[in-house]
Amino acid sequence: MSEVPAVLQEYHLRCVRCGQCRSVCPVFKEIRTETVSPRSKVFLAHLLFSGAIKADDEAASLLSHCLLCRACTVECPSAVPVHELVTAARALAAKKSPSQLKKLFYNQIWPSPARLSFSVSLFRHCQGLLEPAVSLNLLPPALSLPGRLPRRPARASLPAHTPASGKAKMRVGYFLGCATNFLFPDTARNTVAVLARLGCEVVLPQDLKCCGLPQLAAGAEKTAAHMAAANLEAFRRLGVKVVVSDCASCTATLKESFPQNGGSGIKVCDLSELLVNLMEVTKLDFKPVNKIVTYHDPCHLANAQSITAAPRNLLRRICTEFREMPGAAECCGGGGAFVLHHYDTGMAILDKKISNLKKTGAETAATLCPNCIMQLRHGLLKHGAGIEVVSVVQLLAASLGITS
Amino acid sequence: MVIKKINAGLKEIYPAGRMLTGSLEKRMYSYDSSFYARFHNFIPDAVVLPRSTAEVSATVKLAAEHGIPVVPRGAGSGETCGCLAVRGGIVLDFSSWDTVEEVDTENMQVFARPGVVHYRLNEHLAGFGLFFPPDPGSTRMCTLGGMVANNSSGLRAVKYGTTEQYVLGLEVVLPDGRIIETGGVNCRALKNVSGLNLTKLFVGSEGILGVITRIRLRVWPRPQARGLAMAVFTDLEAAPAAVLDVYQAGILPSGIEILDSSAIHAVNLYNPAINLPDAEAILIFEVNGNPAGVAWEGQKIVGIVEKRASRVEWSTAPERMAELWRGRSVVAVAAARLRPGGSRIFAGEDISVPLNRVTEALRRIKELGRQYAITVVNYGHIGDGNIHTAPVINLDNPEEVARANALVDAIHRLAIELGGSTTGEHGVGAVRNQYAVDEHGTAAEIMRQIKATLDPKNIMNPGKLLPPGEVGTIV
Repeated sequence: MSEVPAVLQEYHLRCVRCGQCRSVCPVFKEIRTETVSPRSKVFLAHLLFSGAIKADDEAASLLSHCLLCRACTVECPSAVPVHELVTAARALAAKKSPSQLKKLFYNQIWPSPARLSFSVSLFRHCQGLLEPAVSLNLLPPALSLPGRLPRRPARASLPAHTPASGKAKMRVGYFLGCATNFLFPDTARNTVAVLARLGCEVVLPQDLKCCGLPQLAAGAEKTAAHMAAANLEAFRRLGVKVVVSDCASCTATLKESFPQNGGSGIKVCDLSELLVNLMEVTKLDFKPVNKIVTYHDPCHLANAQSITAAPRNLLRRICTEFREMPGAAECCGGGGAFVLHHYDTGMAILDKKISNLKKTGAETAATLCPNCIMQLRHGLLKHGAGIEVVSVVQLLAASLGITS
Repeated sequence: MVIKKINAGLKEIYPAGRMLTGSLEKRMYSYDSSFYARFHNFIPDAVVLPRSTAEVSATVKLAAEHGIPVVPRGAGSGETCGCLAVRGGIVLDFSSWDTVEEVDTENMQVFARPGVVHYRLNEHLAGFGLFFPPDPGSTRMCTLGGMVANNSSGLRAVKYGTTEQYVLGLEVVLPDGRIIETGGVNCRALKNVSGLNLTKLFVGSEGILGVITRIRLRVWPRPQARGLAMAVFTDLEAAPAAVLDVYQAGILPSGIEILDSSAIHAVNLYNPAINLPDAEAILIFEVNGNPAGVAWEGQKIVGIVEKRASRVEWSTAPERMAELWRGRSVVAVAAARLRPGGSRIFAGEDISVPLNRVTEALRRIKELGRQYAITVVNYGHIGDGNIHTAPVINLDNPEEVARANALVDAIHRLAIELGGSTTGEHGVGAVRNQYAVDEHGTAAEIMRQIKATLDPKNIMNPGKLLPPGEVGTIV
């Protein structure tokens, strides 16, 4: 018998296999075979957990067809947490057929900030060489997604402590996620500046690790748990009570992993949640940013944290015009390593998003997830539409007259 | 050996990506939503995803040549194993052939391929001010091919009838690969009584006579308004009586749903916020049409039902209607909450009885539940006597599973005894065919003969609908 918790093993009994999940799964909508439906993942997980089948390459391949967007979990009338079953099944598959390279990457390199930073820097230096190889289809096309990486990650330029401008209303710990750090250092600097301007004393622990989502998604659940414990400790040591991030995936992961590390007493907030719900900044006066803006719901914000109103309220407050996008809550197809394995499917999902984005006539698309920003920008590059994609933070910074 | 030849033949028909070859991939086609499928491994020999009539015809010819079964499949949301390869063979998954080919607004009809999902069709038709009235609970996933093959209906059958009333014609691939068009070749007329009505023969034939590859559906103008009345009864018998009162007052609601006390209890356990009143039964009437008509009928219903109900509430406000409807919409899954570790099973879930026997049926199903010591929840389309019974059992207990099977058999036999049917809208498949002779007498033999004439090799979805022991080559 496996080490899978009994509660996860029993979910297949709750699944009546009605197939309603097929109506929301972005991967199913593209591929349209039962083999990629969320319902089939519940069945597959059961077969794996019960030992009825071996975790072979075919099982791993079927399990890889999931963005972990949680649309099915939200839709399921029987409340089956499909995404948890997928990650547990992936963990089982990773144990049974371990790829040494993957193991090294997820368990040894990524959890160490220094090794990760070195690897990213190595990647950045090789980008010039990699690009031709990608265009000749010698390397996975997904490697072109991040574009040219910035020279310096955000961490190099962010202080450990940033005082509030004026009287501090709140003391917050900033969780600087990997994608924001390496891909969008401007966003990180703006997050800190915006928080400070709006009355937060911002603490950035120097020994933060990744949130652990890449590990969970790849089946390295134990490593993910160690990383969560280390991050929790880093914030505790600094006496932080509220942790905030500009990355939906990070906050979703932390919200679920911190409490499991012994009732953390730390409240994790998405940036819009903190600003709108806790600090009520929408009551303040903002200088309007002269832009027609629309909003893309990151799955890890809308599906995982049920946060949809706060970012919109912010955008309505700070931009001259807000336009709702059809299918705003549908996944953009950029779920972490998914595009590495299933680039074409990811791009087909993205194409629908871009088409919806264009329908709005907006000149700016804002969101709160660096992964989504990377994906959407990639799609817009491909489609050549003159729409900019930014974090909500960038617009907030512009409205507050912050230049980073 | 045969399978090797079949695979080689299929490879010539289908491009890579529309033929699934992995053993686990094929295993994902071993289930639908039925209780029965949970205890069997109906793994097909091959799975293909056709996107043209020519592909289907070639596939059927190949299967006929080698004498192996062909099993059409839509969303796999059925409860009868109807789309499962119970005797192996080739599964045709139509999920990816979902084109709405034409909306002929002038002639009030639509042409669609079998994989179109029901709510997608209605979403599309809404743009033309039209709709396809049958409204199954599985609207978000079920396909038109599955709906036609099972003659499905749902919440609004009381006013709009079932799928068959809307099917004007079908393109069908016969078991020998020939392609026919029922309802007239190139016909766009709404009325047509020339010839034997082959359309009606294929609607509800559950894939045993051929493969439906195109559907011509009649569509209706979309109603402009809707209202809901919720009535609470302290006496179970008062509920069906109130339904008859409404009919006798000359009103035909678009839906009449019932939740019995067990269903009410289950809903409240599932989500206390829904907070249904504690009662023996709750009825929900839906009225649709033009705004003035809806308002008039709504008031009329309230006036009539008040005489028997302890409370009636009428609303046309969208938010309130959604609240009133919530209890009905969650009951199917809420049932499982009646016992810890319980699972709701789809078996004995669809009997249909004469309107004047509904009360008796509800009482006796409860008694059967007690007799077999199994929790049952009753809800359904009381307006047309279609009762959905949800047994709640512990799936891990083989003894209880056996008891549940006995209970389900008793429920089916009860339906026949009361002058009803074992299934109102879900179909027969491989789970109710043992009752065919009891339900149909000599007519069951005629069904067998029709099948043998069209499909002498018995390759089309064998093991379904007909009484066990079909004629023809058993494969």
